[in-house]
Amino acid sequence: MEEAAKKGRVTPLASLFPVEEAQKAVRRVHETLSEKESELDRFRGFISDNTNLINLVQKLPEGLHHNIMVPFGKAAFFPGRLIHTNEFLVLLGEGYHVERTSKQTVEILKRRGKALQSQVESLKATMQDLKAEASFFGITASEAAEGLVEIREDYVEENFTERESQSGPPKEHPPSFSEADKVKVAVEDEEYSCMVSRLDELEKAEYEAGYGNETHEDIENVAVSDEEYARMMSRLDELEKEELEAEFVNERDEDNAKLAVNDEKYAHMIARLDEIEKEPETECGNERDEDEKIKADFDQSSDQISLDKINRFSEEYQSRKLLEQTKDKKSATEETLDKRDTQKDLTDRLNCTGLTVQSRPKEEMSHGKGLVHGIMKSTPLEKALVLPEVKENVQAASSLRSEAPLQDSKPGFDSRKAFTGSIIERAHNMQTSSSQQAATSSQSTVTQPSKPVSRFKMQRR
Amino acid sequence: MASPAALRELQRELETKADDLNKIQKDISKNHQVRKKYTIQLGENELVLKELDLLSEDANVYKLIGPVLVKQDLAEANANVRKRIEYMSAELKRLDTTLQDLEDKQNSKRDAVLKVQQRIQSLQAGKAKA
Repeated sequence: MEEAAKKGRVTPLASLFPVEEAQKAVRRVHETLSEKESELDRFRGFISDNTNLINLVQKLPEGLHHNIMVPFGKAAFFPGRLIHTNEFLVLLGEGYHVERTSKQTVEILKRRGKALQSQVESLKATMQDLKAEASFFGITASEAAEGLVEIREDYVEENFTERESQSGPPKEHPPSFSEADKVKVAVEDEEYSCMVSRLDELEKAEYEAGYGNETHEDIENVAVSDEEYARMMSRLDELEKEELEAEFVNERDEDNAKLAVNDEKYAHMIARLDEIEKEPETECGNERDEDEKIKADFDQSSDQISLDKINRFSEEYQSRKLLEQTKDKKSATEETLDKRDTQKDLTDRLNCTGLTVQSRPKEEMSHGKGLVHGIMKSTPLEKALVLPEVKENVQAASSLRSEAPLQDSKPGFDSRKAFTGSIIERAHNMQTSSSQQAATSSQSTVTQPSKPVSRFKMQRR
Repeated sequence: MASPAALRELQRELETKADDLNKIQKDISKNHQVRKKYTIQLGENELVLKELDLLSEDANVYKLIGPVLVKQDLAEANANVRKRIEYMSAELKRLDTTLQDLEDKQNSKRDAVLKVQQRIQSLQAGKAKA
């Protein structure tokens, strides 16, 4: 399964680049940099001398002779005359002098000036490289000091069905660390795949029954779905129990597994419910990326009701997640369960809670995906839904893994843990940015949590 | 016992080897300096050659030998400068090879020193155990 791909190695940056060594490197680079700077100053002095000399040489031939004070020895002068004002003995190097006129001397001097300039340029380039090196060392030193961790995992090409199954239980285990997680995820995935297949069957039935008339189809499917509904209700109860039990457990793994299962079932339940009750279109007021995406997809098909449902699902799912995170899990689930009966209340609740979700696009994505899958699984929606799901999957596929860690941290976590989750996001993000070797999943993380991460970055800083 | 004597022997060996290593390192640094000098002179000579080429035939070239400025023929000066350049390039090449040899020797000496050190350590560990 995909678990194999998730095996990762965690290496604290400090081990790769020991803090002291990094700092020493920074100092060394700084020293070399200062040396180069002094050389640069020397060169600049030479260049200025050269220009002065050029000016002097140009000025001298203006007179036939000049009255000057001639230096005599170390500390004496005597008045004298400078004659042959156009004759210069130019030192070429290696003890060779040549007689030149003023103009020719100026030419020689100009050539020398050009040579000096080219040397200065090369020196500046070297200094630039050194500066880049120093900054890199500095960054590494600070990061190592902060205790950042580099996580590497193998990148494995995964097909999209697997992605679906992964995203359905919207909790993905972080590129991680325990076998237990993987086992649980495997279990979840199996369940999910079963549901998916069942859902496909239902969809086909619905599709055959007629494409445009959703309500009728829904009615038709109500009978079919009643059984499923009952099943789902029981499953939902189980899920809730598990969630409540796992609520304050500080083990991501368990939570992820349980919540994944819970979420699946819950998503199913909600989807079925909404379908059956045929809630009218209601606008959530929250505009989330996934919702928009779903909407876009759905617009292509004329399945407005499904769209609404998906929106509601996503909202509800998100709200559910949020509520969980804010320690209102119990009340939330209870509320949502209660409201299941009254469609309108449910919608209202979704609207209310959904409004609080706005700042978590990432969650939404995962939730939306999960919900979409839930819908797929549980309700006999048109095939059009498959499209958005697949599209979402495709869209989300790249961010799947990124969401996984988020999802892991989010569901079943308390508000305090929510913050931890955000830090994890950031760490994940930092790792990707710093290590530059992270698997694509991690890389995709960078693109995904741009909003929350930047927010938290600001909070932290 | 035999081990203290062996230990002392090994330590003496270590000292001699360390001295050799130091000598080699000094040679290498001297080599570096000479190479630097030659490189600078070579650059200067090339500049002079360039300027001399730009001179017309009738220009007067003087060479400063000590405190004396001696008039020289342009052709002669050219030839001298070129010969100097050739000589210096050859010297540089020779120095390069010497440097390479010295570095190889240094590496081998370093390995030998390490080996002796390891032997000493193992002996000491053995003695400590015993």
